[in-house]
Amino acid sequence: MNEMAQTARTNAVQNASREKIAVRGLSFYYGGSRALKDINLSFSENKVTALIGPSGCGKSTFLRVLNRMYDLYPNQRAEGEVLLDGENILDAKLDLNLLRSRVGMVFQKPTPFPMSIYDNIAFGIKLYEKLSKSELDGRVESALRRSALWDEVKDKLAASGLSLSGGQQQRLCIARTIAIKPEVILFDEPCSALDPISTSKIEELIDELTDDYTIVIVTHSMQQAARVSEYTAFMYLGELIEFDDTSKVFTSPREKRTQDYITGRFG
Amino acid sequence: MAKYRARRRVDAAAKILCVAATIFGLGWLTLILAALVWNGFGGLSLAVFTQMTPPPGSNGGLLNAIVGSLIITALGLAIGAPIGILAGTYMAEYGRYSRLTFFVRFINDILLSAPSVVVGLFVYQIMVTRMGHFSAVAGGVALAIIVIPVVVRTTEDMLLLVPGSLREAAAALGMPRAAVIRHVAYRAARAGLLTGILLAIARISGETAPLLFTALNNQFFSANLDAPMSSLPAVIFQFALSPYKDWQHLAWTGALLITFAVLAMSIAARVLAARAVNK
Amino acid sequence: MRGRLAPRALPSSRLMRVRESSVADISIPIAQARLSNEVVSRARALRGLIFRDRIFRIVTRAAAALVLALLGGVILSLAWGSAPTIRTFGLSFLITEVWNPVTDEYGAFAPICGTLITAFLAMIIAVPIGIGIAIFLTELCPQPLRRPIGIAIELLAGIPSIIYGIWGLFVFAPFLQAYVQPALINASQPIPILSTLFAGPPYGIGMLTAGIILAIMVLPFITSISRDVFETVPSVLKESAYGIGCTTWEVVRSVVLPYTRVGVIGGGMLGLGRALGETMATTFVIGNAHKISASILAPGTTISATIANEFTEAVGDLYTSALITLGLILFVITFFVLVAARLLLMRLDRKAG
Repeated sequence: MNEMAQTARTNAVQNASREKIAVRGLSFYYGGSRALKDINLSFSENKVTALIGPSGCGKSTFLRVLNRMYDLYPNQRAEGEVLLDGENILDAKLDLNLLRSRVGMVFQKPTPFPMSIYDNIAFGIKLYEKLSKSELDGRVESALRRSALWDEVKDKLAASGLSLSGGQQQRLCIARTIAIKPEVILFDEPCSALDPISTSKIEELIDELTDDYTIVIVTHSMQQAARVSEYTAFMYLGELIEFDDTSKVFTSPREKRTQDYITGRFG
Repeated sequence: MAKYRARRRVDAAAKILCVAATIFGLGWLTLILAALVWNGFGGLSLAVFTQMTPPPGSNGGLLNAIVGSLIITALGLAIGAPIGILAGTYMAEYGRYSRLTFFVRFINDILLSAPSVVVGLFVYQIMVTRMGHFSAVAGGVALAIIVIPVVVRTTEDMLLLVPGSLREAAAALGMPRAAVIRHVAYRAARAGLLTGILLAIARISGETAPLLFTALNNQFFSANLDAPMSSLPAVIFQFALSPYKDWQHLAWTGALLITFAVLAMSIAARVLAARAVNK
Repeated sequence: MRGRLAPRALPSSRLMRVRESSVADISIPIAQARLSNEVVSRARALRGLIFRDRIFRIVTRAAAALVLALLGGVILSLAWGSAPTIRTFGLSFLITEVWNPVTDEYGAFAPICGTLITAFLAMIIAVPIGIGIAIFLTELCPQPLRRPIGIAIELLAGIPSIIYGIWGLFVFAPFLQAYVQPALINASQPIPILSTLFAGPPYGIGMLTAGIILAIMVLPFITSISRDVFETVPSVLKESAYGIGCTTWEVVRSVVLPYTRVGVIGGGMLGLGRALGETMATTFVIGNAHKISASILAPGTTISATIANEFTEAVGDLYTSALITLGLILFVITFFVLVAARLLLMRLDRKAG
């Protein structure tokens, strides 16, 4: 084994384990009720981490902390630390808009904006960058290609985003998100409103996106978690029960509750 | 069994009364519209739209009144609609959970039904006495005060109908709230916002009382915003209560014009609103 | 570009140590390094947008506050304008019947009474009919007709007030004068109280005419609110009543109306608020007589009609001020009625949750 290969492997190992987001002692409250209890874990860069657990376990709540989406609503607050590249995003003085441009999100139901397919994507880009028409066209095209939608929509970019099918709309939302070059993408049950074919397209897409993005996906489908993720966190009643390599969580879970859940005993 | 029959009879009587009430209500609508057409349709001619309001005993039209109404209504809308939309925006977006919104909503609902004659007095007090004379601007401000609550109400309602998921999706791209509102929420609620504006036009184009002490009236054509200006409702008021037959005829014609314009706008607003809500 | 291969990257096994060895040492340089290129330019682009957001927020908030200021402004300016009247007549203004511009003596009693009486007449007519229509629309009407009939009734609210006025003066009042009022007068002659209430002669215009026209005008408000609240009755409740053999009327009387009582009263109050303040229609048909008659067939006046008729011709500060004071009184009365209406309807909203 020569030195080059040695270095490459070391890098790969470090690479695999570099933490993009570190969560320390996170608790979350809806008014007086505590929805997340002292969560500690970290999301590795360029990996897919799945959050699973029965509904109401707090997995979506957790996801919405990572881009401070909860800030849109009153009486919701988080305690603890969430470090994005070492910077605490729960800091009150943080620029939320900047945070959200770095941590994108794809929602459960497709949410195309009431505008053309082109504008749906160009809109976010124009927010941050002054580009010429041709540069913008290029960015829109690459975002659509990246999200495997280009061939289906290239002839009708001016059509309304709402005219697409559900699966296409969801891919449009993904294109919209990656167009502004985030570092992290959060998926909140992105396939729960889609048919199996659209679902598998989205899953393939997620797989490809790991080259460039750190991905956190909330899913109610254990099969999906097993298919797309490298790491899996099992949550139950607001607590993080188990967090490990996906293969470990699904084949030899340490906790009985995890075992019960993945074998379908509850949830 | 006899008791049962008595119950059935009471039920039938109640149902008949309800049907009668409905016929009563619809009857008035029919009667009023019929009277308008009957009395006003004969007077409809090109002259109505091309000639000034005449002195008693001669022929004329309603041109200055129609133009005046358009100007004052446009003025009222230009002042009132932006304020209403902005206030409604605050209530549905920035201040959705704030105490201010709660109070504004409450007060706005009251202003919505407040007597319009009082609005006329208010504007007279703050503008006409200050400026020393009646003016179209004062009339426009008076109408704007009537426009505001209508637009505030529909704007808030329609923005609240925009799904939160759309707002979240826009916020998730890092858009500041203003961009979310302007590019996404307004766009999604466009039909609804337009409904509010149509309703407001329908509401003010027949308003008379607030104009009587503000824009007053003007026998002649005037486009001077700083001078008294004629308006259809004011002319109808003056002509209808006059003893002259030809003035009364013109009043009926004006009434016909206003009513059908207003009803057309109300119906358009309703259709638009239904579309906005169903979407 | 993303600095992924940077040696700063830490193996996860050392995570805890990082945390112990003070976050400031290690993570801040990482953050700064990463914030250097793209993120910084993005932050700059955002600064402008965020500034605009702040401005927009302030502007919308100011617009909302303006709505409150409007109410305050109306009350203050009317109170200011009323000062001369209050100084001259004091509280007796409220209970004096004299209204004489020549001698500069004014009292609001006749218009106040006229306003209350016409509004009361309107409510007696409009409330039962409005509820009747609402029942028809929610319980009896075939589904496809509901919307058109509902809209037609609501169009009554769209007709401008002045149209009711001109129609009332030229069509409705002559009709009442020729056919209805003589019959009323004759029929009530032998009955003690009614004979005063319906004392002749039949003018056509007068309190009753104004009351009826007001009733037609507020009908759509009462109907649409009643209909809305009737629709909030859970169908389980109605179905269980039908299930034990109730007739439609019995379901309405013992389930729907009790359940929605607050809302119906609120709707009625809202209609009352409208009827009290309605101006042009009453101005045409009330007769403008500053006196109080026992007969509701007699001409009278209301606050709004007095203002509409006399304000532009009012000469002299006291005359103008007296009319403004009338406006203030009207505003205060309608304000309280409308507040009551809103509070009732809000209670219902809370219940519907």
